[in-house]
Amino acid sequence: MINKYKWWEKVGIYFGIAVFLTFTLAPFFEAFLVSLRPLNKINSIPYKIITEGMSFDAYFTMWKNVPKLHLYIWNSFFIATAVTIIALIAVIPAAWAFARFEFKGRDALLGAFLAINMVGGAVLIIPLFKLMSAFGWLNTYWAMIVPGAAFLIPTGIWLLRSYLMKIPRELEEAAWVDGASRLYILRRVIIPIAMPGIVVVAIATFIGAYAQQFLFALTFNSKTDLYPLPVGIYQFFGRQTVVWNELMAASLVGILPVLIIYIFLQRYIIAGLTAGAVKE
Amino acid sequence: MLKFWQQKGSSQMKLAKILLGSAVVIGSMAGVAHAEDARVHIILCGDDTWGGAVNDAHMGEWEAANPGFKTDIEYVPWGQCQEKATTLAAAGNPAAIAYMGSRTLKQLAANDLILSHDLTADELASYAAPILGTVTADGKVWGLPRAFSTKALYWNKDLFSAAGLDPEAGPTTWSEMLDAATAVKEKTDADGFGLAAASFDNTMHQFMNYIYTNGGEVINADGDIVFNSPNNVEALEFYGKTLAAVSQPGPVAYDRAKLRPLFVESKIGMFVSGPWERNAVGDAVNWGVTSMPAGPSGGPGTLLITDSYAVFKNSGVEEAALSLAKYMTSPDKQMEFEIAAGLTPLRPDHAEVAKMRAEDPTWGAFLDAIPTGGPEPFVTDYVGLQDVINEAIQAVVLGEATAADAVAEAAEALEEYK
Amino acid sequence: MQSLGGRPNIFPYLLLLPALLITLLIVAWPLTQTFWLSFTDSSLKPTTNFIGFDNYEKIFAKKFPEVIARTFYWMAISVIFKMVVGVAGAMLLNSAVMGRGFFRLLVMPPWIVPIAVGVFMWRWMYNGQFGMISGVAQHLGILAGPFEFLATRNSAFYSTIVTDVWVGTPMVTIYLLAAMQSISTDLHEAAWVDGASRMYRFRRITLPLIMPAVATMGLLSAIWTFNSFDIIWILTEGGPRNATTTMIIDTYKTAISRFKYGEGSARAVMIVIFLSSFAGFYFYMISRFAKRSLGK
Repeated sequence: MINKYKWWEKVGIYFGIAVFLTFTLAPFFEAFLVSLRPLNKINSIPYKIITEGMSFDAYFTMWKNVPKLHLYIWNSFFIATAVTIIALIAVIPAAWAFARFEFKGRDALLGAFLAINMVGGAVLIIPLFKLMSAFGWLNTYWAMIVPGAAFLIPTGIWLLRSYLMKIPRELEEAAWVDGASRLYILRRVIIPIAMPGIVVVAIATFIGAYAQQFLFALTFNSKTDLYPLPVGIYQFFGRQTVVWNELMAASLVGILPVLIIYIFLQRYIIAGLTAGAVKE
Repeated sequence: MLKFWQQKGSSQMKLAKILLGSAVVIGSMAGVAHAEDARVHIILCGDDTWGGAVNDAHMGEWEAANPGFKTDIEYVPWGQCQEKATTLAAAGNPAAIAYMGSRTLKQLAANDLILSHDLTADELASYAAPILGTVTADGKVWGLPRAFSTKALYWNKDLFSAAGLDPEAGPTTWSEMLDAATAVKEKTDADGFGLAAASFDNTMHQFMNYIYTNGGEVINADGDIVFNSPNNVEALEFYGKTLAAVSQPGPVAYDRAKLRPLFVESKIGMFVSGPWERNAVGDAVNWGVTSMPAGPSGGPGTLLITDSYAVFKNSGVEEAALSLAKYMTSPDKQMEFEIAAGLTPLRPDHAEVAKMRAEDPTWGAFLDAIPTGGPEPFVTDYVGLQDVINEAIQAVVLGEATAADAVAEAAEALEEYK
Repeated sequence: MQSLGGRPNIFPYLLLLPALLITLLIVAWPLTQTFWLSFTDSSLKPTTNFIGFDNYEKIFAKKFPEVIARTFYWMAISVIFKMVVGVAGAMLLNSAVMGRGFFRLLVMPPWIVPIAVGVFMWRWMYNGQFGMISGVAQHLGILAGPFEFLATRNSAFYSTIVTDVWVGTPMVTIYLLAAMQSISTDLHEAAWVDGASRMYRFRRITLPLIMPAVATMGLLSAIWTFNSFDIIWILTEGGPRNATTTMIIDTYKTAISRFKYGEGSARAVMIVIFLSSFAGFYFYMISRFAKRSLGK
């Protein structure tokens, strides 16, 4: 009964959703249109949706013109996955510590982690470069993975901590009383129960890593074979002309893998956020 | 180490010498293909589609003549290549050679990051003097010019006819240009001119054309800022106010790259750009091209922009880098590269150039103005200069300041950047 | 699980070790260097000299307060809009209509696409002559002629905000949606049975209960927005005439574009200071607000 809408309410809702989705998807629609047009007819005045000469050619020629495109997509995927794994290794124990334990400096440390988010990577680039150089990580995947993870860890800790605070302590205390070691508790009790929350953090971290790989990849790496997608895409900016149609096609194709992952894991995100990551 | 052995006595010295000698012999017998070849790291902009094959061929030739070195080209996208080369140098890990906009050379030199080049009088003379001016500071040559462009005025012949103008007559003075633009704006539904005023760098480039065709300068040969001159005020008034009035609406949102689509769609009657537009526009529009029109207080001129090879200090292979850079930019090699990449020839007196002109007379518009052209202002803080001038232009375009005030304010601010 | 027998508990610290290690390495160390650099004249020159507070004096002599104000203003408007759009979107996606799972999926792309690419698309859309917005508006008769969104101070300012809101919408919406779904249906049912309208339920039940989530998201969002670089840079590079130059844009221009690392570092330090003060103030206001509403 509570969810029975009057007809005009339904119309209103659908209309609202349409407007909302138009806002979110308009640029992609435009990108798709551009990817279909031949290079000399990219724009038309006045603005038209269907222009002449549209075809899917760009989707095929782009692989030829930027020969390592599939490599870039793979790299993006690989780097994002590595970042997520490293971030999880750091975030899970840390979130547990902040959620459950009382120790000196806890709030200060939590605030400090949050403060990291406040520092943009762009400004730290020179000291970071010297650091990467000292470690011998330049031109390897490490230089793109570790800094990426570092900046995504605070958000992960924040999200997972609020989730963990919602889980009843009784379970852990029961295991403790039964003589389980803390590590055992972490592995066998906390992680399984917190799985939805962990999945949320993992997905958020993955998406963050996938979408934001530009600056570090560009500065710390000179080997084209290791380029992730955002850097590879910049190769479509030739000297005087930008190959817009291929660029848009490559971008759209590039986000497909992540979109597909998200489709499969969508349930977990909502479930995870619902079950507790939300309330403060 | 030699001293130590000397102390130990002559027989041991002999042993040492033999050992050392054999080491040298064995080492050299390992041959040129030894994996320990010194790496010459080269940063190039864009990708290998413009002259890349020629680059590779020339580098191969140099490597054959210079055993023990291996060239390693790294292509970096246009927006980032300069910054990356500078960042690497600043962090103590410079490339051996980098393709840089010549505007950056003075700053790199002032910060002791690059080496100057020794050129003989003949070598210097092979370049047109204004071109050398783009890479010379304090009497030293800081970069070897590699790519070059000048600007000229493109006009749409069909729009001219429709506006009652002679389609074959490209404007030769600012007033002719203004009249033509006004006619196109009033009599056709296109705008007269394509004006760039966005915060990106080529706005300043566009404006420099007007400074140089009106007898003005930004910084003179002695390094003084001479931006505040009646010539420049006139130029800014013309660019920011008069011409803007007959140009496409909202110039502040446009940089040069966005003007071509307008031109291709016959939405603007004229615009100023480099030689590459001839191919990019192609047959889409019936176009003509002529040298930049001259202003009331000046004569023919244009903006000369060069990109050069800069050789960095502390790369470990400086001598090799200097030699390689010189080889790549020597007259014949450079000419080969320019033809492959479709660039304006740097040495207008080279034999090939006459042939180019004969085949394609439109080269005239770009080459004739070289002797009277001017360089990008050679200052230590280029980005600062660019921001200041762009702001001045935008102030006039947006109607927030008069040309005189804008120029005066900019001139003051520029003192800090020279 | 607290320490047993009075021994100081080092276990929590062990748990924090991986996170601390990475963070100290990648952030803390370069940050201290940046802090140090802010007191020097570091630039491309090979030698660096200590110059005390000179950089900071320079900053304030040069219109920086204007940049600070502009940054806060830009951030405030963007965050407010993100929250409004987020709440609206969450509300819409929470309703029991057909296809809502599909719609929830369609909300995601702005978050997933590499920011640079997304912003490029927006830059194209903002163009007056061949952009979608101007084109469609002209078609519908809203605009008489082409309108260049990035050509004037005000329109550029708000256009960059719109793009920023677009980038942040998916995350805020999904987060608030989850918050809405965690509200016990019993509450809604009880109100419904008592005859409450949808509007009433929204105002008196949903909204107050998701406020904590809004507050959290608001803060996180504010922090990210404050440092939002790519969006403004790609759209306007800070123009026209500095209308969209926020603190981070200014810092980047100084440190990276002009290679003045000392001055740029000083600006970076200022960003951290302002952001921390803001966060501290925000926390304070939230806790006071919470105390007051609890006391009701």
